[in-house]
Amino acid sequence: MTDTRKPAAVRLRWIAAAAMAVLAVLWPLLSANTFYVTLGTMVVLSMIGASSLNLIIRTGHISLAHAAFMGVAAYVCVLLQIHLQWAFVPAMLAGCVASGLLGLLLGPVVLRLTGKYFVLVTFLLGEIIRMVFLEWRSLTGGANGIENMPPVPSFIDTPLSFYYFSLFVAVLSIGIVWRILCSETGRAIDAVREADRIAECSGIPVIRLKVAMFALACALVGLQGALQVYLVRGIDPSGFSMEVSLGMVVMNVLGGMYYLIGPLLGAAFMVALPELLRGYVELQQVIFGITLIVVMAALPGGIIDLAAMLRRAGARALGRSGS
Amino acid sequence: MFSLPVLSQVLINGLSLGAIYILVALGFTLLFGIMRVVNFAHGAFAMLGGYALYYLYGVYKVPYPVAILGGALLVATVSLALERLVFRWFYHKMFQSMIALMGLNMALVYTCVMIWDVSERSLPAAAEGILDLGGVLLPADRLVIMGIAIVVLAAFWLFVTHTRHGLAMRAAALDVEIAASQGVNTGFIYKLAFFIAIFMTALAGGLYAQTYALSPFMGERPLMVAFIVVILGGMGSVSGAALGGLLLGFAESFLSTFYGASVSAFVSFGVVIALLVFRPWGLLGKPE
Repeated sequence: MTDTRKPAAVRLRWIAAAAMAVLAVLWPLLSANTFYVTLGTMVVLSMIGASSLNLIIRTGHISLAHAAFMGVAAYVCVLLQIHLQWAFVPAMLAGCVASGLLGLLLGPVVLRLTGKYFVLVTFLLGEIIRMVFLEWRSLTGGANGIENMPPVPSFIDTPLSFYYFSLFVAVLSIGIVWRILCSETGRAIDAVREADRIAECSGIPVIRLKVAMFALACALVGLQGALQVYLVRGIDPSGFSMEVSLGMVVMNVLGGMYYLIGPLLGAAFMVALPELLRGYVELQQVIFGITLIVVMAALPGGIIDLAAMLRRAGARALGRSGS
Repeated sequence: MFSLPVLSQVLINGLSLGAIYILVALGFTLLFGIMRVVNFAHGAFAMLGGYALYYLYGVYKVPYPVAILGGALLVATVSLALERLVFRWFYHKMFQSMIALMGLNMALVYTCVMIWDVSERSLPAAAEGILDLGGVLLPADRLVIMGIAIVVLAAFWLFVTHTRHGLAMRAAALDVEIAASQGVNTGFIYKLAFFIAIFMTALAGGLYAQTYALSPFMGERPLMVAFIVVILGGMGSVSGAALGGLLLGFAESFLSTFYGASVSAFVSFGVVIALLVFRPWGLLGKPE
């Protein structure tokens, strides 16, 4: 995005980004309790999924199948380690390639649909993939999943090292998304989202761009899948259901769909909130549901909207016109 | 395997399933067609209808016709409060309505989990006995379910085609601003459409709970059915919902009897995806 903002605002953004980076790096050292380290790891991993989904959402498509692709990568990664004795990192990369290829295959078919039809078709697609996980018992272990997970590789077998590795992977993944969104391709993506016919007339290969972003996003979310199954020490179809996909969509919408920081904020909010309401499982879901309703009604642009509203209110209070 | 008694059973099951599905889908498509909201909480309303029937019919032993209709009326009336609190903010905002109503779905389902537990309950059947029509065995409760569904659907069709309010609803579904400029009280029509939609859904939920089991998570299947039927028939198309519901009911009855439940699910999902790719406006909808 070209910087049409005032220099002070730009500097503020860099300070905010630096503060976030410092917090992320120092997080596990803030408390001796490993619960918070694991919580941080969950937040960081969710950011991978939410930011990769943001790539698809920026092209104007809301996908409810993202968790299913995550599952494809996770199962491929685990099965390669169990049956073919692959090491962890190559297996993780192979999983991402697998989900990316599946996205590449299915993309041209489903991306021709827009709006509600795309949401519905990805809803069903996600369910079909999950049913394949469920029914292909010989390969995936069915509903019980695979309980004898391959051992955690030695370089990430403590909560601390796992956190830093996940952070590293997340920064890499979010960095890829960020660079794409800030480049010419990112401008093309915005053009496609807002008016795809006009973009096509300007020479942008719309379908090809959408498919490329879709495949890339499906590959990136595989990173989350491969790591997450180690965190929860097991893999089964329920972790890749429509509810999880929906969670990722909500992270984007809640945080703010059209800014990369949105899904990151949304991921932190959505993963941290239920953990803080632990012990009241049903109540936390109810509160969560009500929060969704209220945020959608009051802040249709997401939490980011809140920042804009506060800035405008602040400027009005100080007697200046909006910044 | 394909003998007359089995096939006739499959046919009856298909019809009664189809009738339930049509009711669920009609409610869904009404809310979309008139208010442009994608009601992700649709299954939750069906579930509430199931619980209403459970209490009225199972616990308080109210006579069946009163219980089923009264339960649905009860749920629809109480839901008007939800219309005022939640739905009203999201009319004509398809996308925000999706997320917010997913939130509503979670809130409703987990509130019910807190009130009642997650265990499944069963409802007593609508009627005992089996009719024997020349070698073809027809379970009486299926017939009752079909009967009630057909009566409600017929009443709905009469309402929409032969009353002023029905005409106003159709006008609002086509273009709400012009309808308003012609003097249609759109606020009232929205509430009316909402009431009718939830009534049908709660009714269907009660029937569904009798056919299967009742639990707070019962609504997931009806929600998916609503999606599938509405896609098959076309979003916003009432006759499409009817056709789609019948098709799905028959397909499911046939496939799950002869080939098992997972094959049936795969096939119906696969067909719907194929339909979405090649003909997204459904069998009877209009291309946008």
